[in-house]
Amino acid sequence: MEELGKIHQLIVPFFGHNMTFNLEVILMTWIVIISILVFGFLATRNKGVIPGPVQVVGELFVSQFFALTEDALDKELGKKYGPLICALFMFLLLSDWLGMIPHLHEPTMDLNTPLSMGLMGFVIAHYAGIRAKGFKAYIKAYFEPIFFMMPLNLIGELAKVISISFRLFGNIMGGSIIILVVSYLTYSILLPPFLNAFFGIFIGAIQAFVFTMLTIVYIAVQVK
Amino acid sequence: MTDDIQVWVKVAAFIGGGMAMGFGALGAAIGEGYTAAKANEAIARNPQISGDLFKTMLIGQAIAESASIFALVIAMILLFTDFAAESYVMVSVLLAAGLSMGLGAIGSGVGSGFPAGEACTGIARQPAMNGRLTTNMLIGSAVCQTPAIFALVTSFILLFTNFSDRPVSPTWAAILGAGFASGFGAIGSGLGGGLVAQASCEGIARQPLSATPVTNVMLLGQAVTQTTAIYGLLISFILMFKGFAPSQSIAESMALLGAGLCMGIGAIGPGIGEGFTAQSAVKWISRNQSATASLTRSMLVGQAVAESTGIYALVISLVLIFVI
Repeated sequence: MEELGKIHQLIVPFFGHNMTFNLEVILMTWIVIISILVFGFLATRNKGVIPGPVQVVGELFVSQFFALTEDALDKELGKKYGPLICALFMFLLLSDWLGMIPHLHEPTMDLNTPLSMGLMGFVIAHYAGIRAKGFKAYIKAYFEPIFFMMPLNLIGELAKVISISFRLFGNIMGGSIIILVVSYLTYSILLPPFLNAFFGIFIGAIQAFVFTMLTIVYIAVQVK
Repeated sequence: MTDDIQVWVKVAAFIGGGMAMGFGALGAAIGEGYTAAKANEAIARNPQISGDLFKTMLIGQAIAESASIFALVIAMILLFTDFAAESYVMVSVLLAAGLSMGLGAIGSGVGSGFPAGEACTGIARQPAMNGRLTTNMLIGSAVCQTPAIFALVTSFILLFTNFSDRPVSPTWAAILGAGFASGFGAIGSGLGGGLVAQASCEGIARQPLSATPVTNVMLLGQAVTQTTAIYGLLISFILMFKGFAPSQSIAESMALLGAGLCMGIGAIGPGIGEGFTAQSAVKWISRNQSATASLTRSMLVGQAVAESTGIYALVISLVLIFVI
């Protein structure tokens, strides 16, 4: 139980400030990134009209998420943001599933990962909004319905980043803590595989999907 | 003096464990009863598939019970662990851990009973959609558990973080406030998320062709409904991890306790209200699929407006913590 909440950190002094690196999280994130790269390589290696097993999975991801993006945005923007959405989902899904392998942890268990993904979505959504509507109309949207609603609209926008990232973080962190505590209480007999299936595979996949959907919606709200 | 602390820590562990399981038993039981009632109704309507209905009822009840099982785990830890009694902060830590998990289990327990009940009704109405309805129910009730999981995270962090080097006043109030914020904050969102999932099960049974947009919009609506529970989690994180300077004045302690209460209770209403919004949006998407895009948009705008009172609560708690 002692390892709960312990993180291996590398602290580097930098002009009077301390820069902190969570080494384990960085390592796990790289494992996820490399696995996705390998998957992408395998899926596109021998492309054919009759697809191989890996290509089928790849096509499934791409077609599903392009369709989803095109539904929420329009055809043209869907093409533009489709690859991003697809990659985001694959990254989050694999991150959430990584914890099932012994000695590996979900990178999403550290708040920094979901928060950076949420910030990325926030910046992209606002960039897309300015591109689509123009700067004036974008600023004007904050003063609706009445001008003094501006501070609340601003807080509402910032709260979106908080809510999207805490949702993923809370679920994954909660799941992994439950698995750890129940494994400890039952001496790892019988229950942990079922808990891993529920919290790891099921909740992890749902939350990765929810995060991706919300990112699409945030972009769509800004664009329209 | 040390013996005194020891006694009080034991007292707090017992009261905390009692409250965790007592409140925790409340919600799930109501949800499960609702599921069973709906299942009975469904069996009366379509007795030929009573086996399938019975199975769906049991699966739905098992998911609805998970919030209560989280509370059981916390109660067991509170009762059977020897907590280090170094400071009076531990007393409020144990109380807060129990309160957070107990209150947090109410909403999710009641909420995840709704989709399970509606899935039984739907299977009786449309037996061919059994598989899809069961999957949708599982997804819906699993997302309903999210607020309870947030409360659980708060309880675990409280139990396994060492707060003994913090000044007793005002830390005790901050910790208790953290428990209230995430505990009360989870009630509304759990209930609201259940309403959304209920509407989606009904919609799929009514119009099986609309299953995909209904499930997608359900997830979206539930996710937005949980926003205020996440504000509660955020406030409780700030209250737990911000080191407060020692002060003898009771006023500062009460400001922190008030911040937790404000966010927690303030999150109940928006959670339920946003649930209503998403419920009817999901329900009508199944009846009029061509309006999916505009219904989704009006749902999101409506939820954003319903959430504004939650944002007021967030602003006031942040003011109470950082300004006063």
